[in-house]
Amino acid sequence: MQAPTTGVDDILAANDGYRLRVRVLNEQGLHARPAARLSQEAQKFGCSIHLRHDGEAVDAKSILDILTMAAGHGSELELHADGPDALEALRHLRALFHNRFR
Amino acid sequence: MATLKGIPVSAGISIGRAFFLNRSGAGPLPRQTLPEALVGPELARLDRAFEQFGLEIEQARERIPAELREHALILDSHMMILKDPKLSGVAKRYVQSLGINAEWALDKAVADLEKAFEALDDPYFRDRIQDVRTVAGRVQARLAGQTAETRAIESRVVLMAHDVSPADTASLQTDKIMALVTVQGGKTSHTGILARTLGIPAVVGVTQLEREVRDGDLVVVDGLRGVVVLSPSEDELARLSDLKYQFEAYQAGIMRGCHLPGETIDGYRLKVKANIEMLDEVPTVVTNGGEGIGLYRTEYSYMNRAKLPTEDELYQEYLDLATIMSPRRVTLRTLDAGADKFVSTLGALDERNPALGLRAIRLCMHHPDIFKTQLRAILRASVAGNISVMFPMISGLREIRQAKAMLAEARAELRQEGQRFDTELPVGIMMELPSAVMIAEVLAREVDFFSIGTNDLIQYSLGIDRTNRYVSHMYQPLHPAVVRSIKHVVDAAHQAGIEVSLCGEMASDPFCVPILMGMQIDCISLTPQAIPGIKRIIRQATMDDCKILLKLVLESPSVTRTNALVQETIFRQFPDELMFYSSLLDREETPTH
Repeated sequence: MQAPTTGVDDILAANDGYRLRVRVLNEQGLHARPAARLSQEAQKFGCSIHLRHDGEAVDAKSILDILTMAAGHGSELELHADGPDALEALRHLRALFHNRFR
Repeated sequence: MATLKGIPVSAGISIGRAFFLNRSGAGPLPRQTLPEALVGPELARLDRAFEQFGLEIEQARERIPAELREHALILDSHMMILKDPKLSGVAKRYVQSLGINAEWALDKAVADLEKAFEALDDPYFRDRIQDVRTVAGRVQARLAGQTAETRAIESRVVLMAHDVSPADTASLQTDKIMALVTVQGGKTSHTGILARTLGIPAVVGVTQLEREVRDGDLVVVDGLRGVVVLSPSEDELARLSDLKYQFEAYQAGIMRGCHLPGETIDGYRLKVKANIEMLDEVPTVVTNGGEGIGLYRTEYSYMNRAKLPTEDELYQEYLDLATIMSPRRVTLRTLDAGADKFVSTLGALDERNPALGLRAIRLCMHHPDIFKTQLRAILRASVAGNISVMFPMISGLREIRQAKAMLAEARAELRQEGQRFDTELPVGIMMELPSAVMIAEVLAREVDFFSIGTNDLIQYSLGIDRTNRYVSHMYQPLHPAVVRSIKHVVDAAHQAGIEVSLCGEMASDPFCVPILMGMQIDCISLTPQAIPGIKRIIRQATMDDCKILLKLVLESPSVTRTNALVQETIFRQFPDELMFYSSLLDREETPTH
């Protein structure tokens, strides 16, 4: 049977790159280790990647930006990537969120 | 004699000589403005300091011993902070635009970040400024020309430091350290993780440390209260030695007694089992005296991977678990995904209200293929003879019958294929929805056992999401509605002659367990770390006292009155237990009292 259609976890094309809504599954939210992993992995891509939480957008390649965003367990974020490898980047980061950055 | 206050992050008491690993650098930070010609070289000097510390982190990561692997992960976040332009880039900009020296510029960049972190509500995230300070402190040390070398320690010491960075742990002589004390650090800092791994007391955030203590001073580190006692008087030394002895005796005592049955002085027997989600946890369950697995959360195999687990993989996992635990009973809870836990391949659903949405048994009925695969795996593993199965989030009769029909289908398939399984496999349900509680008498006729999931029962009864900081203070395990619900379920189970267990956090809460005992619950299931302490409380209790307490609690009209009453009673009946029990629990999950 098919899962009901979503809004979270689908990568959507926008006129300025791609967007993706994800949820933070880690019990303690995007704490030190997941934030390190996220910024580390984001830096592997050439495109710009931003994270939006409660209306505020930050650089996904900066661990300090991610930490000061204070995204707790269950919070919903929007990732926005713009550049040649944007789609690939979002696919990669989506898997990280799903696997709780393990 | 003087006493320095800090934050306790690892329990225990040690008496010994102070040994400083490092100090916060000699003297005040140099502050200079630079002539324009020196700005370029100053930028290069700052870059070099950052690079040097980066290299040290890399080297430390390679040398870190296996038992401290946790710290290798923290090194990653320090590396990312080191490389973050929000620190290094901003510092360089200050050198350039203000023409100031590297030390001053870096200090200003940290001050900027301090403001950003201070504004955060969540203490965990606010605490992460400590990581920034640690990294910046190390870069400052490189700027001052210091290297990462640490002095060799001759005999066992109380290690003191401005902070212990994960980079230091690689070179620490851990066998020579009897306690840790640092100036920096908060409740969640890695000094605590390190100390708990090593099993030694630790106090962090002792701001006066460097001013008040010299190498070789006699100190007492009290990781229970979070204080460091300097030059203790004879009397004080005697008192603290006494406390140290008591604590160690308590610790040894609960471990020694943890294999005895959970039985009150007057002979009432309560089974004490463990909640786990991974096979790795089984050794802890066994050493801590768990009498079985009361809740095996099966979600883990579904969440950690790109593809769904196959029937064979699940079968092997369940069979391994049952075999290792045999003859103790193992209760597998079928997939409880949805709400805040997602199956990787299904992703998160777009639900406005996920806690009230497609989760647990509902999600399984929506994906019969996934559910059937799991049921077949459980049935096949049940040949081990000690497996029970239970369904989560049952709201009424129809869901039990649907789930049982699915189980019957899986049985029929296996029979046809000639596969073996336990034909008597006990089937139970989680009691965690108010609707199920109200019709407990009806549901009890359908199953072999109940397991009360108090975390969800409290959430759904009180309408409180306890991760929501605006309302989490209203998450009250001893709310009269919750206590009466549990009592109702226990009574209904006993009337129908079936077993009833409880597996929420209330089961590891010393304030709640005596009340549950008063209800004559058959079994509690809790985190393995808490089993020895809770068993000791059970073994020191009497059923009469528990029944009196329950009666008072049931008569109490408000949670405020209940909490006051319960605290007063428990503190009176188990004073030592409480003093030590809570200090042994992980600080991040202290009870809600």
